[in-house]
Amino acid sequence: MSNALTNRILLAVALAVAYVGVPLVFGGNAYVLGLIVAALTIAGVAVAWALLGNLGGMVSFGHAAFFGVGSYTSAVLAMKLGVPVFAAMLLGGLGAAVSSIAMLPALRLRGPYFALAILAYAHIFQILATEMTPVTGGAGGLLSIPRFPTVLGFDFGDKTGGYLIVLTIVVLAALAYDAIRRSTWGLALKAMHDTEVATRVVGVPSTHLKAAMLVLSAFITGVVGAFNAHFISFLDPDYAFSSGWTVLPIAAAIFGGYRTVWGPVVGALAIYLVDQLLFKPILPHGHQMILGVLLCAMILFSPGGLMPALSRRPVKENRHAHA
Amino acid sequence: MLTLDGVQVNFGGVQALKCASFSIAEGESIGLVGPNGAGKTTLFNVISGVVRPTAGRLDFRGTSLLKLPEWKRARLGIGRSFQIPRPFGHCTVRENLLVAQRFGAGKKDPGRIDEILDILNLRDKADRDATTELALTEHKALEVGKALATEPSLLLLDEVLAGLETSGKRAFMERLAAVRDRYRLAMVIIEHDIATIAALCPRVLVLNFGQIIADGSPDAVFRDPEVIRSYTGETTLAEAS
Repeated sequence: MSNALTNRILLAVALAVAYVGVPLVFGGNAYVLGLIVAALTIAGVAVAWALLGNLGGMVSFGHAAFFGVGSYTSAVLAMKLGVPVFAAMLLGGLGAAVSSIAMLPALRLRGPYFALAILAYAHIFQILATEMTPVTGGAGGLLSIPRFPTVLGFDFGDKTGGYLIVLTIVVLAALAYDAIRRSTWGLALKAMHDTEVATRVVGVPSTHLKAAMLVLSAFITGVVGAFNAHFISFLDPDYAFSSGWTVLPIAAAIFGGYRTVWGPVVGALAIYLVDQLLFKPILPHGHQMILGVLLCAMILFSPGGLMPALSRRPVKENRHAHA
Repeated sequence: MLTLDGVQVNFGGVQALKCASFSIAEGESIGLVGPNGAGKTTLFNVISGVVRPTAGRLDFRGTSLLKLPEWKRARLGIGRSFQIPRPFGHCTVRENLLVAQRFGAGKKDPGRIDEILDILNLRDKADRDATTELALTEHKALEVGKALATEPSLLLLDEVLAGLETSGKRAFMERLAAVRDRYRLAMVIIEHDIATIAALCPRVLVLNFGQIIADGSPDAVFRDPEVIRSYTGETTLAEAS
Protein backbone atom coordinates (compact mmCIF):
# COMPACT_ATOMS: atom_id res chain seq x y z
CA MET A 1 0.00 0.00 0.00
CA SER A 2 1.43 3.39 -0.96
CA ASN A 3 2.30 5.99 1.67
CA ALA A 4 -0.24 8.41 0.22
CA LEU A 5 -3.05 5.87 0.48
CA THR A 6 -2.02 4.90 4.02
CA ASN A 7 -2.00 8.57 5.02
CA ARG A 8 -5.48 9.10 3.53
CA ILE A 9 -6.89 6.12 5.38
CA LEU A 10 -5.30 7.30 8.63
CA LEU A 11 -6.73 10.78 8.11
CA ALA A 12 -10.22 9.39 7.39
CA VAL A 13 -10.09 7.26 10.56
CA ALA A 14 -8.84 10.20 12.63
CA LEU A 15 -11.61 12.45 11.29
CA ALA A 16 -14.25 9.79 11.98
CA VAL A 17 -12.99 9.45 15.55
CA ALA A 18 -12.88 13.23 15.96
CA TYR A 19 -16.36 13.92 14.54
CA VAL A 20 -18.21 10.90 15.92
CA GLY A 21 -16.11 9.16 18.56
CA VAL A 22 -15.14 12.14 20.69
CA PRO A 23 -18.69 13.60 21.01
CA LEU A 24 -20.04 10.14 21.82
CA VAL A 25 -17.41 9.40 24.46
CA PHE A 26 -16.95 12.83 26.01
CA GLY A 27 -20.26 14.50 25.16
CA GLY A 28 -21.41 14.07 28.75
CA ASN A 29 -18.16 15.28 30.28
CA ALA A 30 -18.22 19.05 29.98
CA TYR A 31 -14.83 19.43 31.71
CA VAL A 32 -12.89 17.15 29.36
CA LEU A 33 -14.74 18.43 26.28
CA GLY A 34 -13.95 21.98 27.38
CA LEU A 35 -10.26 21.07 27.58
CA ILE A 36 -10.38 19.52 24.11
CA VAL A 37 -12.00 22.69 22.75
CA ALA A 38 -9.26 24.79 24.36
CA ALA A 39 -6.60 22.49 22.89
CA LEU A 40 -8.18 22.77 19.43
CA THR A 41 -8.32 26.55 19.78
CA ILE A 42 -4.56 26.51 20.37
CA ALA A 43 -4.23 24.02 17.49
CA GLY A 44 -5.99 26.40 15.10
CA VAL A 45 -3.55 29.20 15.89
CA ALA A 46 -0.66 26.72 15.78
CA VAL A 47 -1.61 25.64 12.24
CA ALA A 48 -1.82 29.30 11.17
CA TRP A 49 1.54 30.02 12.80
CA ALA A 50 3.15 26.99 11.16
CA LEU A 51 1.73 27.99 7.77
CA LEU A 52 3.47 31.34 8.05
CA GLY A 53 6.65 29.85 9.49
CA ASN A 54 6.98 26.85 7.25
CA LEU A 55 5.67 28.23 3.97
CA GLY A 56 6.35 31.93 4.42
CA GLY A 57 9.65 31.40 6.25
CA MET A 58 8.67 33.95 8.89
CA VAL A 59 8.78 33.44 12.64
CA SER A 60 5.96 35.43 14.22
CA PHE A 61 5.74 36.44 17.86
CA GLY A 62 2.61 38.45 17.16
CA HIS A 63 -0.22 36.03 16.45
CA ALA A 64 -1.94 37.19 19.62
CA ALA A 65 -2.72 40.38 17.66
CA PHE A 66 -4.64 38.49 14.97
CA PHE A 67 -6.39 36.40 17.62
CA GLY A 68 -7.42 39.52 19.52
CA VAL A 69 -8.49 41.51 16.47
CA GLY A 70 -10.54 38.57 15.19
CA SER A 71 -12.24 38.06 18.52
CA TYR A 72 -13.08 41.76 19.04
CA THR A 73 -14.23 42.29 15.44
CA SER A 74 -16.61 39.36 15.62
CA ALA A 75 -17.88 40.18 19.11
CA VAL A 76 -18.49 43.86 18.31
CA LEU A 77 -20.23 43.08 15.00
CA ALA A 78 -22.52 40.55 16.68
CA MET A 79 -23.26 42.69 19.74
CA LYS A 80 -23.55 46.16 18.27
CA LEU A 81 -24.67 45.55 14.70
CA GLY A 82 -26.60 42.34 15.18
CA VAL A 83 -24.57 40.42 12.60
CA PRO A 84 -25.36 36.66 12.78
CA VAL A 85 -22.68 34.88 14.81
CA PHE A 86 -21.35 32.59 12.06
CA ALA A 87 -21.08 35.51 9.62
CA ALA A 88 -19.47 37.65 12.34
CA MET A 89 -16.91 34.90 12.92
CA LEU A 90 -15.84 34.98 9.26
CA LEU A 91 -15.78 38.78 9.37
CA GLY A 92 -13.57 38.47 12.46
CA GLY A 93 -11.11 36.53 10.33
CA LEU A 94 -11.42 39.22 7.68
CA GLY A 95 -10.72 41.90 10.30
CA ALA A 96 -7.58 40.09 11.38
CA ALA A 97 -6.52 39.74 7.73
CA VAL A 98 -7.03 43.47 7.22
CA SER A 99 -5.03 44.22 10.39
CA SER A 100 -2.18 42.13 9.00
CA ILE A 101 -1.96 44.50 6.03
CA ALA A 102 -0.59 47.06 8.47
CA MET A 103 2.22 44.62 9.11
CA LEU A 104 3.21 44.23 5.45
CA PRO A 105 6.10 46.74 5.70
CA ALA A 106 7.67 44.32 8.21
CA LEU A 107 8.04 41.77 5.38
CA ARG A 108 11.15 43.66 4.33
CA LEU A 109 12.71 42.45 7.57
CA ARG A 110 14.14 39.01 8.11
CA GLY A 111 14.70 36.63 11.02
CA PRO A 112 14.63 38.16 14.50
CA TYR A 113 13.94 41.66 13.15
CA PHE A 114 10.65 40.50 11.61
CA ALA A 115 9.77 38.62 14.81
CA LEU A 116 10.38 41.71 16.96
CA ALA A 117 8.52 44.05 14.59
CA ILE A 118 5.43 41.84 14.57
CA LEU A 119 5.59 41.58 18.38
CA ALA A 120 5.52 45.38 18.55
CA TYR A 121 2.53 45.48 16.18
CA ALA A 122 0.69 43.06 18.45
CA HIS A 123 1.20 45.38 21.40
CA ILE A 124 -0.21 48.32 19.41
CA PHE A 125 -3.46 46.44 18.81
CA GLN A 126 -3.77 45.59 22.51
CA ILE A 127 -3.42 49.28 23.39
CA LEU A 128 -6.05 50.19 20.77
CA ALA A 129 -8.47 47.65 22.24
CA THR A 130 -7.92 49.11 25.70
CA GLU A 131 -8.28 52.75 24.64
CA MET A 132 -11.21 52.48 22.23
CA THR A 133 -13.65 52.15 25.11
CA PRO A 134 -16.88 53.09 23.25
CA VAL A 135 -16.36 50.22 20.82
CA THR A 136 -14.46 47.60 22.80
CA GLY A 137 -15.58 48.34 26.34
CA GLY A 138 -12.00 49.31 27.24
CA ALA A 139 -10.18 47.48 30.01
CA GLY A 140 -13.52 46.25 31.36
CA GLY A 141 -14.02 44.23 28.20
CA LEU A 142 -17.20 42.85 26.65
CA LEU A 143 -19.68 40.69 28.53
CA SER A 144 -22.48 38.48 27.24
CA ILE A 145 -21.10 38.09 23.75
CA PRO A 146 -23.72 36.18 21.70
CA ARG A 147 -23.16 32.45 21.67
CA PHE A 148 -23.45 30.20 18.65
CA PRO A 149 -27.09 29.64 17.61
CA THR A 150 -29.17 26.52 17.27
CA VAL A 151 -29.28 25.39 13.64
CA LEU A 152 -31.80 22.77 12.45
CA GLY A 153 -32.38 21.74 16.02
CA PHE A 154 -28.69 21.30 16.86
CA ASP A 155 -27.40 23.64 19.55
CA PHE A 156 -24.00 24.94 18.51
CA GLY A 157 -23.89 27.04 21.67
CA ASP A 158 -23.12 24.12 23.98
CA LYS A 159 -19.80 22.35 24.52
CA THR A 160 -20.38 19.69 21.86
CA GLY A 161 -21.50 22.29 19.32
CA GLY A 162 -18.45 24.43 20.08
CA TYR A 163 -16.23 21.39 19.74
CA LEU A 164 -17.60 20.57 16.29
CA ILE A 165 -17.16 24.19 15.16
CA VAL A 166 -13.56 24.53 16.29
CA LEU A 167 -12.74 21.06 14.97
CA THR A 168 -14.08 22.08 11.56
CA ILE A 169 -12.07 25.31 11.62
CA VAL A 170 -8.88 23.40 12.45
CA VAL A 171 -9.50 20.70 9.82
CA LEU A 172 -10.24 23.30 7.11
CA ALA A 173 -7.14 25.31 8.09
CA ALA A 174 -4.94 22.20 7.94
CA LEU A 175 -6.41 21.16 4.56
CA ALA A 176 -5.82 24.68 3.19
CA TYR A 177 -2.24 24.55 4.49
CA ASP A 178 -1.75 21.17 2.81
CA ALA A 179 -3.26 22.33 -0.49
CA ILE A 180 -0.97 25.36 -0.64
CA ARG A 181 2.05 23.30 0.36
CA ARG A 182 1.43 20.89 -2.52
CA SER A 183 0.81 23.64 -5.09
CA THR A 184 3.39 25.44 -7.22
CA TRP A 185 2.98 28.36 -4.82
CA GLY A 186 4.07 26.06 -2.01
CA LEU A 187 7.03 24.94 -4.05
CA ALA A 188 8.03 28.55 -4.71
CA LEU A 189 7.62 29.43 -1.03
CA LYS A 190 9.83 26.51 -0.09
CA ALA A 191 12.35 27.57 -2.71
CA MET A 192 12.47 31.08 -1.24
CA HIS A 193 13.69 30.03 2.19
CA ASP A 194 17.40 29.85 1.48
CA THR A 195 17.76 32.17 -1.45
CA GLU A 196 14.99 34.65 -2.08
CA VAL A 197 16.84 36.66 -4.73
CA ALA A 198 17.40 33.51 -6.80
CA THR A 199 13.64 32.93 -6.89
CA ARG A 200 12.91 36.54 -7.83
CA VAL A 201 15.17 36.38 -10.89
CA VAL A 202 13.17 33.42 -12.21
CA GLY A 203 9.92 35.38 -11.91
CA VAL A 204 8.69 34.58 -8.39
CA PRO A 205 7.06 37.64 -6.77
CA SER A 206 8.46 36.63 -3.40
CA THR A 207 7.14 39.57 -1.39
CA HIS A 208 3.62 39.04 -2.77
CA LEU A 209 3.72 35.36 -1.82
CA LYS A 210 4.96 36.12 1.69
CA ALA A 211 2.27 38.77 2.06
CA ALA A 212 -0.39 36.26 0.97
CA MET A 213 0.82 33.81 3.62
CA LEU A 214 0.77 36.51 6.30
CA VAL A 215 -2.79 37.55 5.40
CA LEU A 216 -4.02 33.94 5.24
CA SER A 217 -2.34 33.09 8.55
CA ALA A 218 -3.93 36.18 10.12
CA PHE A 219 -7.35 35.22 8.70
CA ILE A 220 -7.22 31.72 10.17
CA THR A 221 -6.04 33.04 13.53
CA GLY A 222 -8.77 35.69 13.48
CA VAL A 223 -11.48 33.09 12.83
CA VAL A 224 -10.16 31.01 15.74
CA GLY A 225 -10.12 34.10 17.95
CA ALA A 226 -13.68 34.91 16.88
CA PHE A 227 -14.78 31.36 17.66
CA ASN A 228 -13.24 31.64 21.12
CA ALA A 229 -15.02 34.94 21.81
CA HIS A 230 -18.43 33.45 21.05
CA PHE A 231 -17.62 30.20 22.84
CA ILE A 232 -16.56 31.76 26.16
CA SER A 233 -18.85 34.79 25.72
CA PHE A 234 -16.41 37.23 27.33
CA LEU A 235 -13.44 39.35 26.21
CA ASP A 236 -11.02 41.83 27.68
CA PRO A 237 -7.83 43.19 26.10
CA ASP A 238 -5.44 41.39 28.46
CA TYR A 239 -7.09 38.06 27.68
CA ALA A 240 -7.76 38.54 23.95
CA PHE A 241 -4.24 39.80 23.22
CA SER A 242 -2.49 37.65 25.83
CA SER A 243 1.01 36.50 24.86
CA GLY A 244 -0.28 33.02 25.68
CA TRP A 245 -2.06 33.03 22.30
CA THR A 246 1.37 33.31 20.73
CA VAL A 247 3.54 31.22 23.05
CA LEU A 248 1.31 28.14 23.42
CA PRO A 249 0.69 27.73 19.68
CA ILE A 250 4.42 28.11 18.96
CA ALA A 251 5.24 25.49 21.60
CA ALA A 252 2.51 23.22 20.18
CA ALA A 253 3.69 23.63 16.59
CA ILE A 254 7.31 22.97 17.47
CA PHE A 255 6.43 20.04 19.73
CA GLY A 256 4.22 18.41 17.09
CA GLY A 257 6.40 19.33 14.13
CA TYR A 258 5.74 22.64 12.43
CA ARG A 259 7.03 21.40 9.08
CA THR A 260 4.21 18.88 8.89
CA VAL A 261 0.54 19.72 8.32
CA TRP A 262 -0.93 17.81 11.27
CA GLY A 263 2.05 18.25 13.62
CA PRO A 264 0.75 21.52 15.13
CA VAL A 265 -2.65 19.90 15.80
CA VAL A 266 -1.14 16.81 17.40
CA GLY A 267 1.29 19.04 19.32
CA ALA A 268 -1.51 21.24 20.69
CA LEU A 269 -3.62 18.28 21.76
CA ALA A 270 -0.61 16.54 23.31
CA ILE A 271 0.85 19.40 25.30
CA TYR A 272 -2.42 20.97 26.46
CA LEU A 273 -4.31 17.81 27.35
CA VAL A 274 -1.31 16.10 28.94
CA ASP A 275 -0.55 19.27 30.89
CA GLN A 276 -4.12 19.74 32.11
CA LEU A 277 -5.09 16.12 32.73
CA LEU A 278 -1.77 14.69 33.92
CA PHE A 279 0.70 17.30 35.14
CA LYS A 280 -1.70 19.82 36.68
CA PRO A 281 -3.23 17.37 39.23
CA ILE A 282 0.30 16.30 40.25
CA LEU A 283 1.79 19.79 40.38
CA PRO A 284 -1.01 22.39 40.62
CA HIS A 285 1.47 25.29 40.75
CA GLY A 286 4.25 25.30 38.19
CA HIS A 287 3.03 22.36 36.12
CA GLN A 288 4.07 24.26 32.99
CA MET A 289 7.69 23.62 34.00
CA ILE A 290 7.27 19.99 33.03
CA LEU A 291 6.00 21.09 29.63
CA GLY A 292 9.09 23.27 29.23
CA VAL A 293 11.35 20.32 29.98
CA LEU A 294 9.41 18.13 27.53
CA LEU A 295 9.69 20.76 24.81
CA CYS A 296 13.45 21.08 25.38
CA ALA A 297 13.81 17.30 25.21
CA MET A 298 11.82 17.19 21.98
CA ILE A 299 13.97 19.89 20.38
CA LEU A 300 17.14 18.09 21.45
CA PHE A 301 16.18 14.56 20.50
CA SER A 302 13.75 15.12 17.62
CA PRO A 303 14.18 18.64 16.25
CA GLY A 304 11.55 17.94 13.59
CA GLY A 305 8.93 17.36 16.31
CA LEU A 306 6.62 14.57 17.34
CA MET A 307 5.09 13.71 13.94
CA PRO A 308 8.40 12.99 12.14
CA ALA A 309 9.55 11.05 15.20
CA LEU A 310 6.39 8.93 15.15
CA SER A 311 6.70 8.25 11.45
CA ARG A 312 10.40 7.37 11.99
CA ARG A 313 11.35 9.44 8.99
CA PRO A 314 13.80 12.24 9.69
CA VAL A 315 12.77 15.62 8.23
CA LYS A 316 15.76 15.79 5.86
CA GLU A 317 14.93 12.48 4.24
CA ASN A 318 11.22 13.17 4.07
CA ARG A 319 11.48 16.22 1.91
CA HIS A 320 8.54 15.41 -0.34
CA ALA A 321 6.19 15.29 2.58
CA HIS A 322 7.34 18.60 3.97
CA ALA A 323 7.03 22.07 2.63
CA MET B 1 16.94 44.22 -27.79
CA LEU B 2 18.69 45.64 -24.71
CA THR B 3 20.11 49.12 -24.54
CA LEU B 4 22.09 50.60 -21.68
CA ASP B 5 22.71 54.30 -21.78
CA GLY B 6 24.97 56.01 -19.24
CA VAL B 7 24.31 53.45 -16.53
CA GLN B 8 26.05 54.28 -13.30
CA VAL B 9 26.08 52.41 -9.98
CA ASN B 10 27.49 53.82 -6.76
CA PHE B 11 27.96 51.80 -3.58
CA GLY B 12 28.54 54.58 -1.07
CA GLY B 13 31.67 56.34 -2.31
CA VAL B 14 32.64 53.54 -4.71
CA GLN B 15 31.64 53.81 -8.36
CA ALA B 16 31.05 50.20 -9.38
CA LEU B 17 29.82 51.17 -12.86
CA LYS B 18 30.71 54.41 -14.65
CA CYS B 19 28.52 55.51 -17.50
CA ALA B 20 28.13 52.09 -19.13
CA SER B 21 26.55 52.33 -22.58
CA PHE B 22 26.05 49.53 -25.09
CA SER B 23 23.37 47.55 -26.92
CA ILE B 24 22.69 43.88 -27.41
CA ALA B 25 20.95 42.67 -30.54
CA GLU B 26 18.49 39.73 -30.76
CA GLY B 27 20.36 36.43 -30.83
CA GLU B 28 23.76 38.01 -30.24
CA SER B 29 26.42 36.28 -28.09
CA ILE B 30 28.68 38.57 -26.12
CA GLY B 31 31.61 37.78 -23.85
CA LEU B 32 32.00 40.08 -20.88
CA VAL B 33 35.53 40.11 -19.49
CA GLY B 34 37.58 42.18 -17.09
CA PRO B 35 39.76 41.84 -14.01
CA ASN B 36 38.25 40.96 -10.64
CA GLY B 37 36.24 43.87 -9.26
CA ALA B 38 35.77 45.42 -12.71
CA GLY B 39 31.97 45.54 -12.31
CA LYS B 40 30.92 42.57 -14.44
CA THR B 41 28.55 41.00 -11.90
CA THR B 42 27.27 44.46 -10.96
CA LEU B 43 26.33 44.95 -14.61
CA PHE B 44 24.37 41.67 -14.55
CA ASN B 45 22.75 42.72 -11.28
CA VAL B 46 21.64 46.00 -12.87
CA ILE B 47 20.19 44.30 -15.96
CA SER B 48 18.37 41.64 -13.94
CA GLY B 49 17.11 44.13 -11.35
CA VAL B 50 19.02 42.89 -8.31
CA VAL B 51 20.73 46.30 -8.08
CA ARG B 52 19.13 49.63 -9.00
CA PRO B 53 21.37 51.97 -11.00
CA THR B 54 22.22 55.37 -9.54
CA ALA B 55 21.82 56.97 -12.98
CA GLY B 56 21.26 56.01 -16.60
CA ARG B 57 18.67 54.31 -18.78
CA LEU B 58 17.92 50.62 -19.47
CA ASP B 59 15.47 49.57 -22.16
CA PHE B 60 14.53 46.02 -23.09
CA ARG B 61 12.57 45.64 -26.32
CA GLY B 62 11.26 49.17 -25.94
CA THR B 63 10.31 48.85 -22.25
CA SER B 64 12.20 50.78 -19.60
CA LEU B 65 13.49 48.40 -16.95
CA LEU B 66 14.29 51.05 -14.37
CA LYS B 67 11.16 50.64 -12.21
CA LEU B 68 10.64 46.93 -12.77
CA PRO B 69 11.50 44.43 -10.01
CA GLU B 70 13.56 41.33 -10.77
CA TRP B 71 10.56 39.03 -11.20
CA LYS B 72 8.92 41.26 -13.79
CA ARG B 73 12.18 41.44 -15.76
CA ALA B 74 12.38 37.65 -15.68
CA ARG B 75 8.85 37.50 -17.12
CA LEU B 76 9.87 39.95 -19.84
CA GLY B 77 12.53 37.49 -20.97
CA ILE B 78 15.72 38.26 -19.02
CA GLY B 79 17.20 35.12 -17.49
CA ARG B 80 20.35 34.94 -15.44
CA SER B 81 22.59 32.58 -13.50
CA PHE B 82 24.61 33.34 -10.40
CA GLN B 83 28.37 32.94 -10.11
CA ILE B 84 27.90 30.90 -6.93
CA PRO B 85 25.08 28.45 -7.69
CA ARG B 86 21.90 29.10 -5.74
CA PRO B 87 19.72 26.00 -5.94
CA PHE B 88 16.34 26.19 -4.23
CA GLY B 89 16.54 24.65 -0.78
CA HIS B 90 15.23 21.12 -0.31
CA CYS B 91 13.78 21.02 -3.81
CA THR B 92 14.67 18.45 -6.43
CA VAL B 93 16.33 19.43 -9.70
CA ARG B 94 13.00 19.08 -11.51
CA GLU B 95 11.22 21.18 -8.86
CA ASN B 96 13.81 23.93 -9.34
CA LEU B 97 12.95 24.01 -13.03
CA LEU B 98 9.20 23.77 -12.36
CA VAL B 99 9.26 26.86 -10.14
CA ALA B 100 11.21 28.79 -12.76
CA GLN B 101 8.90 27.70 -15.56
CA ARG B 102 5.64 28.24 -13.66
CA PHE B 103 6.53 31.74 -12.52
CA GLY B 104 8.99 32.92 -15.18
CA ALA B 105 7.28 31.54 -18.28
CA GLY B 106 3.80 31.43 -16.72
CA LYS B 107 3.04 27.86 -17.77
CA LYS B 108 3.46 24.20 -16.94
CA ASP B 109 5.17 22.32 -19.75
CA PRO B 110 6.77 19.05 -18.57
CA GLY B 111 8.01 18.38 -22.11
CA ARG B 112 10.08 21.53 -22.11
CA ILE B 113 11.46 20.67 -18.63
CA ASP B 114 12.55 17.26 -19.93
CA GLU B 115 14.13 18.90 -22.96
CA ILE B 116 16.16 21.24 -20.72
CA LEU B 117 17.19 18.33 -18.50
CA ASP B 118 18.39 16.44 -21.58
CA ILE B 119 20.32 19.34 -23.09
CA LEU B 120 22.08 20.03 -19.80
CA ASN B 121 22.69 16.34 -19.10
CA LEU B 122 20.65 16.48 -15.89
CA ARG B 123 17.98 13.89 -16.70
CA ASP B 124 19.55 11.29 -14.38
CA LYS B 125 19.58 13.81 -11.54
CA ALA B 126 16.06 15.13 -12.02
CA ASP B 127 14.74 13.72 -8.75
CA ARG B 128 17.83 14.40 -6.66
CA ASP B 129 17.96 17.09 -3.97
CA ALA B 130 19.45 20.08 -5.76
CA THR B 131 21.10 21.43 -2.62
CA THR B 132 22.92 18.36 -1.39
CA GLU B 133 23.17 15.76 -4.12
CA LEU B 134 24.79 17.51 -7.09
CA ALA B 135 28.39 17.92 -8.21
CA LEU B 136 29.75 21.36 -9.16
CA THR B 137 29.19 20.86 -12.92
CA GLU B 138 25.60 19.84 -12.22
CA HIS B 139 25.04 22.84 -9.97
CA LYS B 140 26.30 25.07 -12.77
CA ALA B 141 24.07 23.30 -15.29
CA LEU B 142 21.08 23.74 -13.00
CA GLU B 143 21.78 27.48 -12.81
CA VAL B 144 21.55 27.61 -16.60
CA GLY B 145 18.52 25.31 -16.56
CA LYS B 146 16.55 27.51 -14.15
CA ALA B 147 17.18 30.52 -16.36
CA LEU B 148 16.20 28.54 -19.47
CA ALA B 149 12.98 27.33 -17.86
CA THR B 150 11.79 30.95 -17.72
CA GLU B 151 11.98 30.95 -21.54
CA PRO B 152 14.25 33.96 -21.79
CA SER B 153 15.24 35.80 -24.91
CA LEU B 154 18.34 37.19 -23.18
CA LEU B 155 20.48 34.90 -21.01
CA LEU B 156 23.08 36.33 -18.64
CA LEU B 157 25.61 33.70 -17.54
CA ASP B 158 27.92 34.63 -14.68
CA GLU B 159 31.08 32.48 -14.74
CA VAL B 160 29.21 29.24 -15.34
CA LEU B 161 32.45 27.62 -16.47
CA ALA B 162 34.56 28.73 -13.51
CA GLY B 163 35.99 25.92 -11.42
CA LEU B 164 35.37 23.21 -14.02
CA GLU B 165 38.29 21.05 -15.19
CA THR B 166 39.26 21.18 -18.86
CA SER B 167 37.19 18.29 -20.20
CA GLY B 168 34.16 19.35 -18.16
CA LYS B 169 34.55 22.89 -19.41
CA ARG B 170 34.67 21.74 -23.02
CA ALA B 171 31.53 19.64 -22.62
CA PHE B 172 29.75 22.51 -20.87
CA MET B 173 30.71 24.90 -23.67
CA GLU B 174 29.17 22.53 -26.19
CA ARG B 175 25.97 22.47 -24.14
CA LEU B 176 25.88 26.25 -24.01
CA ALA B 177 26.34 26.46 -27.78
CA ALA B 178 23.51 23.90 -28.19
CA VAL B 179 21.27 25.95 -25.88
CA ARG B 180 22.00 29.15 -27.79
CA ASP B 181 21.34 27.56 -31.18
CA ARG B 182 18.23 25.65 -30.13
CA TYR B 183 16.46 28.53 -28.41
CA ARG B 184 17.98 31.33 -30.53
CA LEU B 185 18.90 33.32 -27.46
CA ALA B 186 20.96 36.40 -26.99
CA MET B 187 23.66 35.53 -24.44
CA VAL B 188 26.09 37.51 -22.36
CA ILE B 189 28.77 35.36 -20.73
CA ILE B 190 31.13 36.47 -18.00
CA GLU B 191 34.25 34.35 -18.30
CA HIS B 192 37.95 34.72 -17.56
CA ASP B 193 39.14 32.14 -20.08
CA ILE B 194 39.87 34.03 -23.30
CA ALA B 195 39.86 30.91 -25.48
CA THR B 196 36.39 30.01 -24.24
CA ILE B 197 35.08 33.49 -24.93
CA ALA B 198 36.64 33.52 -28.39
CA ALA B 199 35.05 30.15 -29.19
CA LEU B 200 31.54 31.14 -28.07
CA CYS B 201 31.25 34.86 -28.70
CA PRO B 202 31.88 36.89 -31.85
CA ARG B 203 31.77 40.07 -29.74
CA VAL B 204 33.59 40.92 -26.51
CA LEU B 205 33.07 43.74 -24.02
CA VAL B 206 35.86 44.57 -21.57
CA LEU B 207 35.14 46.24 -18.26
CA ASN B 208 37.80 47.80 -16.05
CA PHE B 209 37.14 49.84 -12.90
CA GLY B 210 33.46 50.03 -13.86
CA GLN B 211 34.13 51.37 -17.36
CA ILE B 212 33.77 49.71 -20.73
CA ILE B 213 37.24 50.03 -22.22
CA ALA B 214 36.82 47.86 -25.32
CA ASP B 215 34.00 46.50 -27.48
CA GLY B 216 34.66 44.43 -30.60
CA SER B 217 35.71 41.08 -31.99
CA PRO B 218 37.79 38.82 -29.70
CA ASP B 219 40.78 39.19 -31.99
CA ALA B 220 40.70 42.98 -31.94
CA VAL B 221 39.84 43.30 -28.25
CA PHE B 222 42.54 40.99 -26.94
CA ARG B 223 45.21 42.89 -28.92
CA ASP B 224 44.01 46.25 -27.59
CA PRO B 225 46.87 47.78 -25.51
CA GLU B 226 44.43 49.19 -22.94
CA VAL B 227 42.89 45.76 -22.42
CA ILE B 228 46.31 44.15 -22.03
CA ARG B 229 47.31 46.89 -19.57
CA SER B 230 44.13 46.35 -17.54
CA TYR B 231 44.99 42.68 -17.13
CA THR B 232 48.79 42.74 -16.88
CA GLY B 233 49.84 46.29 -16.16
CA GLU B 234 51.93 46.18 -19.40
CA THR B 235 51.07 47.68 -22.78
CA THR B 236 51.99 44.71 -25.01
CA LEU B 237 51.70 40.98 -24.66
CA ALA B 238 55.46 40.73 -25.29
CA GLU B 239 56.22 42.99 -22.32
CA ALA B 240 53.71 41.15 -20.20
CA SER B 241 55.33 37.81 -20.93
